[in-house]
Amino acid sequence: MSMSTAVFSVEGLWKVFGPKADTVPGDPELTALDPAELRARTGCTAAVRDVSFDVRKGEVFVVMGLSGSGKSTLVRCLTRLIEPTAGAIAIDGEDVRAMDRSRLRELRRHRAAMVFQHFGLLPHRTVLDNVAYGLEIQGVGKAERRARAREVVAKVGLEGMEQRRPAQLSGGQRQRVGLARALAVDPEVLLFDEPFSALDPLIRRDMQEEVVRLHREEGRTMVFITHDLGEALKLGDRIALMRDGRVVQLGTPEEIVGSPADDYVREFVRDVPREQVMTVRSAMRPGECKSPEHPNAIAADEVVAEAIKVVARSGSAACVVEDGHCLGVVDHERLIGVVAGTEPGAVAGTEPRKEAA
Amino acid sequence: MATLTASVPLSGGLLKRRSVQKLLLLALAAAVLIPLANAQWASGSWPDALTVDLSKPLTGASDWIIDNRDSHPLFLYGFGYVSNAVVVSVRAVYLVLLAAGWAGVTAIGALVAWRVAGVRLALGTGAAFLACGLLGMWVPTMQTLALMVVAVLASVLVGVLLGLAAGLSDRMDRALRPVLDTMQVLPAYAYLLPVVLVFGMGVPAAVLATVVYAAPPMARLTALGLRGADKEVLEAVDSLGATARQRLLTARVPLARKELLLGLNQTIMMALSMAVIASVIGAAGLGDRVYQALASVDVGAALAAGIPIVLLAVVLDRVTGAAGENVGEEHGNTRRLWLYAALAAVAVAVAGRLAGRLDWPDAWTMNIAEPVNRAVDWMTAHLYSGVPYIGGTADWAGHFTTWVLNPVRSGLQWLPWWSLLLLVAALAWLIGTWRTALTAVLAMAAIGVLGVWTPALDTLSQVLAAVAVTLVLGFATGIAAARSDRFERLLRPVLDVFQTMPQFVYLIPVVALFGVGRAPAVAAAVVYALPAVVRITTQGLRQVDPAALESARSLGATPAQQLRQVQLPLARPALLLAVNQGVVLVLAVVIIGGLVGGGALGYDAVFGLAQGDLATGLVAGVGIVCLGLMLDRVTQPTERRTKSGM
Repeated sequence: MSMSTAVFSVEGLWKVFGPKADTVPGDPELTALDPAELRARTGCTAAVRDVSFDVRKGEVFVVMGLSGSGKSTLVRCLTRLIEPTAGAIAIDGEDVRAMDRSRLRELRRHRAAMVFQHFGLLPHRTVLDNVAYGLEIQGVGKAERRARAREVVAKVGLEGMEQRRPAQLSGGQRQRVGLARALAVDPEVLLFDEPFSALDPLIRRDMQEEVVRLHREEGRTMVFITHDLGEALKLGDRIALMRDGRVVQLGTPEEIVGSPADDYVREFVRDVPREQVMTVRSAMRPGECKSPEHPNAIAADEVVAEAIKVVARSGSAACVVEDGHCLGVVDHERLIGVVAGTEPGAVAGTEPRKEAA
Repeated sequence: MATLTASVPLSGGLLKRRSVQKLLLLALAAAVLIPLANAQWASGSWPDALTVDLSKPLTGASDWIIDNRDSHPLFLYGFGYVSNAVVVSVRAVYLVLLAAGWAGVTAIGALVAWRVAGVRLALGTGAAFLACGLLGMWVPTMQTLALMVVAVLASVLVGVLLGLAAGLSDRMDRALRPVLDTMQVLPAYAYLLPVVLVFGMGVPAAVLATVVYAAPPMARLTALGLRGADKEVLEAVDSLGATARQRLLTARVPLARKELLLGLNQTIMMALSMAVIASVIGAAGLGDRVYQALASVDVGAALAAGIPIVLLAVVLDRVTGAAGENVGEEHGNTRRLWLYAALAAVAVAVAGRLAGRLDWPDAWTMNIAEPVNRAVDWMTAHLYSGVPYIGGTADWAGHFTTWVLNPVRSGLQWLPWWSLLLLVAALAWLIGTWRTALTAVLAMAAIGVLGVWTPALDTLSQVLAAVAVTLVLGFATGIAAARSDRFERLLRPVLDVFQTMPQFVYLIPVVALFGVGRAPAVAAAVVYALPAVVRITTQGLRQVDPAALESARSLGATPAQQLRQVQLPLARPALLLAVNQGVVLVLAVVIIGGLVGGGALGYDAVFGLAQGDLATGLVAGVGIVCLGLMLDRVTQPTERRTKSGM
């Protein structure tokens, strides 16, 4: 399935809350029920139902869904902050569910660090000591952990605030501390649980750009939970869309917006400004422009909005170019079709959702 | 739930149906049981056939303990060690305090207050210590302080351990919570007798009674703090791979710091209160001076010892309270300042030592007993009775006894015993669940079985009268304070001081004003319970949803309508809590009122202690416990129970 190596690999994961929860995933009769019926029959709530996906090295993997869709439970299962009921989780091929206490602590200390919605800072510690907390837990000496914490504090733009306490910071600054605390342990994967949903819109945008910048600079693998579609499309290399504990569609932003898997997803992405998400590649009419100089050349990975500018400026169709070859042509008709959402599902093969055996 | 829905007019019908159901069920049970009971035993007072005379076995047990206290291995190797350890540690602290000298102790107190709570409280602390010396009470103050230091350390240790257990384990929490809840409502007096039975009169008994009384708030608040920790912070700590130990030490305990310091504050205040009361079981110190003075109605001497108690209480409360408020605001070079403070204190102590001024100089004491007694004599002569138009204080006390206390008492004692049980059951069931009702009825029945029915009803009559007066005054003052910011600002410091004073101290002024008897006991109880009732009422009214009040105002409601139709109904839970607290606090002081002629159960308990008749005392003590339990259950809304059951 994956072209590059998977950091996290999740297979048939279940998390059921309630009495005798462990009997639910194995019972085909119960797994077929919808959430309300299941609760009525067994008193159990299935927060995560048979979820499978791989998180590839270096990508931003977004899990997106409305509240109650199970996304926060899912991310906690990855490091077993919540113990999964059934299924397999592997990190770099190592079985997470088989880990003993100390191995699991090792995983949490060095390999996956989490950023929380309400920050989860220790109110009695300074910013610096909050950031150094993860290192302190690992047993790193005071001088060294403070020095490393200072670097990370600078990296997230909080220089000069090292001695403040969380109560003296704004919401955005607090989340920068939360981010710095996770970064300070230099984890392989960063897990974000709706980190910006408690922030004001402008601050949220700043923080999203901060994440984009960090990802560009460090290329760290990220798993990002959000209920905000705009945030998901902006940050995600790939998005898993969850509903009632299941992943209803998994794909790139373009695949999700361009070819929704069902009516629920279609309804979800209805108001997305498609020209900001769809690429020229999916909008073009394939075929050579038959002209050596490629008039109005535009890269295949550019979004449609850019092509509209080019076409509007020149008044004629644009040539879609990749590696010096012409792949096709976009004219105003195709572009308007994308904006209106009437063009045929041109996206090549949405990644099919895996069904568990 | 019942109390919540009650304030919503729509569901009033439902509640009415439910309460009617309960009453019908109760009436049915009564209709079957009462004729049976009536036929078997006469009505009127509690039937003799149903009492169990415990005095013989209890006297036997107490005699056995007294005989074997010096020889039986249980005492030699068990309680003996505890007792010795307590004596040795109290003695050691006392000697250290004396060795530090008055200057040293004052300096240490002031410097600790300075570091913890700022300059103003430091000056206040210094002044308070000096005042204790000035009143000629330095040695008793140090005795009380030594006893308290040991008792507080032990209480904190016990409380924190219990609190950790209850905070970390759900099962421990479920087991401990009802015990701690119940201990909270029992009058301090009830703790004295069992301890005396085991340890005899003296310092060990006093310290242990104090620990038993003062540890529960520490345990409760520790558990509360540990349980109240922000879940997401704990999750974040887990997500970083903390071990259980790291999680407890770096997150849970620091997150609970506010509660821990509040617990320390409450423990210290309760320890002071109890250390003073424990004078009746042989604790030397300020309480003993008050106790001796009250016994001979020497108000001047009582006041000279009472003022240091009040000063100690106010200083301890403010300093520990300030420590709780300043949590997390300390900056930078705290450690160095602490060092300076410690050095300064040592320097002062050494200087005092070198100057040969360890004991408070006699020339510097001021005898206030005589002038106070002269003033009291003057009051007795001029204010007690025969003041034109308003009558004298003794007249008021007499009238209150004749017109209120006596009728209530005879009324209660005239009622058939089963009707009182029925009444208790009905009240407890209406406000709570059948379980509450059962506890209340059993407690009430136990009073009869123990053979203290008559004195218990005497105590009950005083409690009822005092509660009625307290609630009328408390609600009126509370409503006034809730409506006028200025009045509340004036009232607040008064309430603060009154709420910190130990129960014992309240007896002094009422004896000066009203002499001895039941009316002064009731007056002391009212004064003691009033601040809490006023405060809870004011807070309850002020916390009423402003939007609801605003909408009422926008519809043109008059202030009276706002109060009656919005504020009071919405503040109902707070008002019920005020009633409950009022009852619990009143009972505590009415019992102590046995020392100043209140008679009844309190007197039996004191008499038992004083005469070495532990059987009488213990039976009275158990009666007090049962009465406290019953009164609490009858006034406590179920809402609190269901919450605590979670």
